Amino acid sequence: MTEARPGFRVFLGRFRTDRAAVFGAVVAGLLVLLALLAPVLTALEGQDISSFHNDLVDSARGGVPIGPLGGMSGQHWLGVEPQTGRDLFARVAQGAQISLLVAVSATVVQVFLGVVVGLAAGLGSKLLDTVLTRLADIAIAFPVIIFSLALLTIVPDSVPRPLLLAVVIGVLGWGGTARIARGQTLSLRTRDFVAAARLSGAGGFRVARREILPGLAAPVITYAALLLPTNVITEAALSFLGVGVRPPTSSWGQMLSTATTWFRSDVMYVLIPAFMVFLTVLSFTLMGEGVRVALDPRTTRLTRKAG
Amino acid sequence: MLGYAVRRIGGAAAVLLIMSAVVYLLFYLMPANPAQLVCGIKTCTPDRLAVISHSLGLDEPLYLQYWHFLVGLVAGRDISMGPSTVHCAAPCLGYSFQYTEPVLQMILDRLPVSGSLVVGAAVLWLSFGIGIGVLSALRRGRWVDHTVNALVLGGLAVPIFITGLLALMVFCVYLQWIPFPTWVPLDQDPLLWAQNLILPWIVLALTTMPVYVRMSRAGMLETLAEDHIRTARAYGLPERQVIGRHALRGALSPLITLAALDVAAILTSSVLTESVFGLPGIGQLTVQAVRNVDLPVVVGLVLLIGFVIVVCNTIADLLYAAVDKRVSVS
Amino acid sequence: MTWRRPSLLVAGLLLAGTVTACGGGGQSASTAAFDPNNCQGGTLEILNQDDAGSHLDPARLYTSGGGNIPSLLFRTLTTRTRKAGADGAKVAPDLATDTGEPNADATVWTYHLRDGLKFEDGTPITSADVKYGIERGFAAELPGGAPYLHDWLVDAQNYPGPYKDPNGIAAIETPDAKTIVFHLNSPHGDFPYLATATQFAPVPKAKDTGADYEKHPISSGPYKIETYDKGKSMTLVRNTDWSRAVDPNRLACPDRIEATYGLDSAVINQRLSTGTGNDANAVTTDTSLGPSELAQLDNNPDLAKRVAKGGFPYTYYLAFDNTKAPFNDIKVREAFSYAVDRTSAVNAVGGSSLAYPATTFLPNNKTMGYQAFDYFPAGANGDPAKAKQLLAEAGFPNGLTITLAHRSDDSNQDGPAVATAVQDAFKKAGITVKLQSIDSDSYGTTVNNPATQPQVAVEGWGADWPSGGPFIIPIFDGRQYLAGGGNFNTAHFDDKAVNAKIDEINKITDPDQAAQQWGQLDSEIMKQAPVVPLYHTTQLRLYGKNVKNAFVSDWTGVYDLSQVSVK
Repeated sequence: MTEARPGFRVFLGRFRTDRAAVFGAVVAGLLVLLALLAPVLTALEGQDISSFHNDLVDSARGGVPIGPLGGMSGQHWLGVEPQTGRDLFARVAQGAQISLLVAVSATVVQVFLGVVVGLAAGLGSKLLDTVLTRLADIAIAFPVIIFSLALLTIVPDSVPRPLLLAVVIGVLGWGGTARIARGQTLSLRTRDFVAAARLSGAGGFRVARREILPGLAAPVITYAALLLPTNVITEAALSFLGVGVRPPTSSWGQMLSTATTWFRSDVMYVLIPAFMVFLTVLSFTLMGEGVRVALDPRTTRLTRKAG
Repeated sequence: MLGYAVRRIGGAAAVLLIMSAVVYLLFYLMPANPAQLVCGIKTCTPDRLAVISHSLGLDEPLYLQYWHFLVGLVAGRDISMGPSTVHCAAPCLGYSFQYTEPVLQMILDRLPVSGSLVVGAAVLWLSFGIGIGVLSALRRGRWVDHTVNALVLGGLAVPIFITGLLALMVFCVYLQWIPFPTWVPLDQDPLLWAQNLILPWIVLALTTMPVYVRMSRAGMLETLAEDHIRTARAYGLPERQVIGRHALRGALSPLITLAALDVAAILTSSVLTESVFGLPGIGQLTVQAVRNVDLPVVVGLVLLIGFVIVVCNTIADLLYAAVDKRVSVS
Repeated sequence: MTWRRPSLLVAGLLLAGTVTACGGGGQSASTAAFDPNNCQGGTLEILNQDDAGSHLDPARLYTSGGGNIPSLLFRTLTTRTRKAGADGAKVAPDLATDTGEPNADATVWTYHLRDGLKFEDGTPITSADVKYGIERGFAAELPGGAPYLHDWLVDAQNYPGPYKDPNGIAAIETPDAKTIVFHLNSPHGDFPYLATATQFAPVPKAKDTGADYEKHPISSGPYKIETYDKGKSMTLVRNTDWSRAVDPNRLACPDRIEATYGLDSAVINQRLSTGTGNDANAVTTDTSLGPSELAQLDNNPDLAKRVAKGGFPYTYYLAFDNTKAPFNDIKVREAFSYAVDRTSAVNAVGGSSLAYPATTFLPNNKTMGYQAFDYFPAGANGDPAKAKQLLAEAGFPNGLTITLAHRSDDSNQDGPAVATAVQDAFKKAGITVKLQSIDSDSYGTTVNNPATQPQVAVEGWGADWPSGGPFIIPIFDGRQYLAGGGNFNTAHFDDKAVNAKIDEINKITDPDQAAQQWGQLDSEIMKQAPVVPLYHTTQLRLYGKNVKNAFVSDWTGVYDLSQVSVK
């Protein structure tokens, strides 16, 4: 557990020297931009996300895009989607929106629930602690994919899907954060400044908010930074299985679910979403690693050259 | 130690109970009516629907259905199937709505597939993961180390279904080096069994390995820096003995617990792996059962997987407590 | 570094073994021509995505003409003729000696069974067994199958099945072990077609195990089940109590049939096209060609030779209630007919090789009496200008908004892919479409119940048998409208003249004459634009290198497993 909380500038300084982390942060930033500016960029390209282009696909060959590399051209930067002829760049950009939106929201839910439960467990009575820890154990043991599959199949399509995905993934995955939060709370609780606050008459809530919560920031943020890429993968996996966002909304996992059909005839349609998932997860993982190391330089760095 | 074990097992049972209750609740909330699905579309009349509902036990209140299920788990129960009534011996996981077969049997039939997948992959990822990690630690700073580290990071970033898909496409469609994986039981033809599973094994191992590489490398580095290693070296013990007997043990203990947890994780992600490779294991059964709103099968699967997870977690905890004497069991 | 890494060695060995093992292997394709008298032998492999009908019980299967795999186990009173092309769309006697003897007004049909019919256990097949098989279809525990029997037999609507009422159905008489008589409550000239349904397969009462029967149904056909692992695999071996002497329809060349289910469609096509090892003897009964195979057809004549092309009569269309606004105005219905882009709809389900645009309700099959017409010519990509004009005339100068329901997945070709294509086309005509995704499993029950029927829905209809009757009647006969559910007349179409014409045609027993009349009726009905037809489907199926005699009939549109050979 961290002893001193590094100041933000110290943190930034350490982060900046870590080339891998900076690379990750830059790419992650670009992806976020892509997600935020998707409609703008699509308009720039001169396309929109829903128009069909029958003339750009070969109907007799099952709807394969005409032209090499899946129909890439000046008008369609990443080519077109098979069968429909819709602009692929627009759909990939929307996929970025979905992936990031769901992953970030799910992480927020997981952190929020985890911190609340962890704090309560760490600060509360022995009974509360035991009950909550058991709950966290159950949450960790829940097979996320299977329960998400079941939950997502139950809920009717009238509920907005990205929100549902975020909630489901979030609610099933707060166990790890809770454990971390609880551990840190327990260790902080025995500290002098907490005892002092208590003696001065501060109630439980106040103690939690002012004394403990800041101390949780570092480990929780570190953990969250690595939760994000996992959530990206989970969303892609669920979309791949067909229970993610519904068409016509686009998602990378969804594109991959038809990969076996298109691999031979339109390999770009498979490689592009695969690459996007890879890039997203890699960049956020590198960034997360960088955050972790910058917050606690004593942690063994994977790619550190010296010792 | 015994008390600890008993407490853990009791906790595990509680977890399983809660999981099964949650699944029942989930299905109660389902808008799709399983009786409707069994009844079919073109010839279903309200009367037929009622009869089917009754035979599936769906006309009972939820808590009664759950109670029958729990009783069946412990003592077995009788289930009516139209003209006949069958006795389902304990532990009775019920009969599938869609297939009118005992759920336990369905699961056991498919277990060898998932089991083969997990075990084969585990052998690969443990041996390679630890081997590469240790190698990397011993060659720290050289090009081997850097390449390995880069690959590890890359491996962490690609989800199994993508690696699997790409491997399938490249090796079976494009290069046609191997045929598409199908399931051949081990007792039928061991060579064919292994041949079909080699691709899923390698892919699974590749995706699980990175963590082991990293951890064994880190653990090795840490242990190598410790006093007793220096002492052993100072005594003039051959390097092989130093590494093999002294360093490895310290480095590997956290890995054992991780392995137990990963076995559980692989099983739960079998849903994806089996989808990608088209293998008829419990993962594929799960996807089918959820789509068919086949409550008994889903409950059975959740219980099974929960059981495996809990067992693995318990083993991991107990192993950790036993191996690393510094950990107290309170 | 001195210690070994044995796992690496083992992995290497396995990989090497794998590579060499699959390099060779597979028997050389025999080049002898197909000879039905010398075709016995070998093992036929079946590679499918799904299990045959998911319930291998004759009472529960809903097949057209007896099905492909089911027809290997279940012989019926009559069956489809096993010939190529239009000849294949006729009825042939199977268990019976002829296609049936009707009385003067086709309300009573009599059948006589052949000699020498036996089940797989050697017991003779009697008319009582056929009667029992039909009665089982009424049991609530065994739902499924075609609805016609319930409606056509006198007083049988409420029969609860033989488990509850062992007295049976009075409308089915069995005066002796070889005769069976059906009493219908109205004239039906196409009863022989209905008798091809799997419900007409005999079931021995002594071996009936109710819902468990599907695990090992007793075969009356050329094969019997050796092992059956539902959803995963099935092995069939010869039924020694069957012979060609008592069955002029089936050849049954392979000695053994091994089916594998649960495979991915792209994998199936890939395996059939490469054909290594046992895959050279493989066929499929549920997978059409995918884009990668379609792309190869031009450059690979060997592959093109192994593609069976057929057209099982099927129509996909937009369905809406004609009695509710805005569809009660014919101009609105016509506008919708002009607005559809059939090219993008066809592309959505696999392209022009697998589907063709529909401007009629009956598909382009001679036996259906197809007549070509296009009353609202929308061209290849729709005519949004004309649609807008019509909408303005109908009082919607600024377009309108509708809800289009579709299945939640594309497995049945009425899912989001088609719906999105329709949405995009309608946008150009000023029609805003809100998509409503309905869960795949409850789609049928939701759409076919007037209480829950969506405003507009994508629907598909297939031929229960190759005649215009089962195609038109459930959809356009006003008396078939069922307010309580299971309703296929989703247009709520009720035209007295049409109903009268239907009754007239039902009396005709000559299929060719009836076909011509049905085609004429289709033309009359569609003038009113009660539905908007989108496309009809074509079947393109691959078969293995060694497979012979895989011809296609107009009834099923696919090759027949009872006719193929691997020798």
